[in-house]
Amino acid sequence: MVYYIYDGSFEGLLTAIYEAYYRRETPEKILSSDNVQNSLFIKYVHINTDQEKAQRVYDAIVQKISPSAAKNALYAFLSEAQDAGTAIYRYLKLGWKMGKSVDLALAEPHVFRVHALRKKVSQEAGKMLGLVRFQLLKSGVYYAPIEPDFNILGIIAPHFKRRMPNQDWIIHDVKRKLAAFYSQGQYAIVPFEFKGALPLDDEEFDYQTLWKEYFQNIAIKSRINLRLQRQFMPVRYWKYLIETPGTQAKP
Amino acid sequence: MDLHTKLKILGAAAKYDVSCSSSGSSRRNRPGGLGNASLPGICHSWSDDGRCISLLKILFTNRCAFNCLYCVNRATADVPRATFTPDEVAQLTINFYKRNYIEGLFLSSAVYKNPNYTMELLITTVRKLRNEYHFNGYIHLKAIPGADPLLIAEAGKYVDRMSVNIELPSSQGLQLLAPQKNRDAIIKPMGFIHSKILQAREERKLYKNAPLFVPAGQTTQLIVGATPDNDLRILRLSESLYKRFSLKRVYYSAYVPVTQHPNLPAIASPPLMREHRLYQADWLLRFYGFKADELLDENQPLLDIEIDPKSAWALRNLHLFPVEVNRADYEMLLRVPGIGVRSAKRIIAARRYSSIDFETLKRFGVVLKRARHFITCRGKFYGERNINESALYQMLKPASTQQKAISSTGEQLTFSSLYPHVFQPEDVYTVITGEM
Ligand code: SF4
Repeated sequence: MVYYIYDGSFEGLLTAIYEAYYRRETPEKILSSDNVQNSLFIKYVHINTDQEKAQRVYDAIVQKISPSAAKNALYAFLSEAQDAGTAIYRYLKLGWKMGKSVDLALAEPHVFRVHALRKKVSQEAGKMLGLVRFQLLKSGVYYAPIEPDFNILGIIAPHFKRRMPNQDWIIHDVKRKLAAFYSQGQYAIVPFEFKGALPLDDEEFDYQTLWKEYFQNIAIKSRINLRLQRQFMPVRYWKYLIETPGTQAKP
Repeated sequence: MDLHTKLKILGAAAKYDVSCSSSGSSRRNRPGGLGNASLPGICHSWSDDGRCISLLKILFTNRCAFNCLYCVNRATADVPRATFTPDEVAQLTINFYKRNYIEGLFLSSAVYKNPNYTMELLITTVRKLRNEYHFNGYIHLKAIPGADPLLIAEAGKYVDRMSVNIELPSSQGLQLLAPQKNRDAIIKPMGFIHSKILQAREERKLYKNAPLFVPAGQTTQLIVGATPDNDLRILRLSESLYKRFSLKRVYYSAYVPVTQHPNLPAIASPPLMREHRLYQADWLLRFYGFKADELLDENQPLLDIEIDPKSAWALRNLHLFPVEVNRADYEMLLRVPGIGVRSAKRIIAARRYSSIDFETLKRFGVVLKRARHFITCRGKFYGERNINESALYQMLKPASTQQKAISSTGEQLTFSSLYPHVFQPEDVYTVITGEM
């Protein structure tokens, strides 16, 4: 049995798929290097990420399968699920056989898995578009910390670029130590860490209080339903909200 | 009065307005501006009652010249009153928007002095937001019933969505509970807005830069349970509003008892279950190809509280079932209890590639517990044989414990515990956010 091990980057995964094709090998699994547990019965092949090979695989996905297959693969990859690499590999292999109709073959377990992962990732990204909270810093920059389950920073950044084109902002994935920095029409995603108190602008407190009060006030008391609230907005997303959900009881 | 107190009073006063959706508009950002109304609508938070918060929902003022009995702000009510200035509203909106608390503004108002005077204040506010503050986010404006059509036309230039509330399903109801409002003052502006929307759309076909008019369309809201109007009447009304004025949504709001009066029903808690069934039925009208008269008739003018309207319909039409999932057309699949829009689409897509087996249905999100009684899969029937209608009715009912909780208090409801039977989880999300 052969497992391919890649460095954890999307390009690394694509390189592994490239190698499998040219070595005429069918690895049982393709795993990210941080997911590997050694076993004596398995042959591990470490793949060196190669931008050019990755690009060729990517082009082959777009041209021979479809642009949406490329998106499915990328989103599924961003789920960071252990089996994502293997599922994407099988999905694409089938895709090169079937062309764009691979996305209709939902009865195939790997196709279904990739679709399911993509859906989870885009759902979280969708939710995060609303739950990101910016705070105005003294420097005039709007700063928002997040801790999403999946690596969605790259998916949500373009939305905020369109939404606030004239304002400098930072969205910081605290867990993955990554941040998107935006200024004047461009953003970059770079490794970033920040500790300590935020240097907040003076007017920030007033707007935070107004929002908190508004939030408390908007709930209809005879309809308080904390379970429903938590279902839409799971507690793990509350950490960086300005408002405090779940404090009111039914009278 | 400071801004905190005003927001407290005027936010609380607006909260009974249910329309939370900010979808259906794509207003792209102009250079130098802030924001874009993106599609579909985004929820920014969920309040403690489980509702999506998408817009800053406020009244401009709660000082009212009218005296609608079901309303907390009626002229004779003893409540604290407040009025914003246009700049206060604009600044709150802009600053909440920049921090990503909200997707835009939902501005409504009580009738301050008279309808035209109020409408002019609202126009000043939205014009300021667009022209002085360069705000390109979403704006939903309530048109004041009885305001001059010219004012409504002016407001329409600046907002994404406009709505006129029907309030009550019948004119008798209005007479009884909201004597200063009449049917004409509500229906007329709706027709007017509709014709302006059509006109603007035509003009934009000819000239790309013709001005927008309410690009996200109009909606309305009505109160359920404050008058004796039955569900059939309500659904027929909604159906004709969708047809005549191409409304985007009709929102139903369970009557929340705010006061006591001989003309008002004496109820302890809002009829949430009924509201919920109406939303389900409305959904069937809009996305499942049902007609109001298929769901209810004069002999049976009320929606069944125990089971969802689609199951109820299927039970009355057992002669149409079972259908073969590998052959039935899309319209018929949609009518099977336990199959939603998403799973029907998946079935149609997947069976072009290969025939579908029972296991796959489960993965596609079909609720087999209900669907199995109404389908065959590769010719095989998986439901109970020789079962009669009333036994099937029992099986389609939600678990009894849950049912008890619902009927005894009218509360304990969560959308999710109720929706799965007809709707898929994706649909539930859609209901709440108004996406689609
Ligand atoms: S006009 Fe509106 S605010 Fe005034 S009493 Fe009637 S419903 Fe309430």
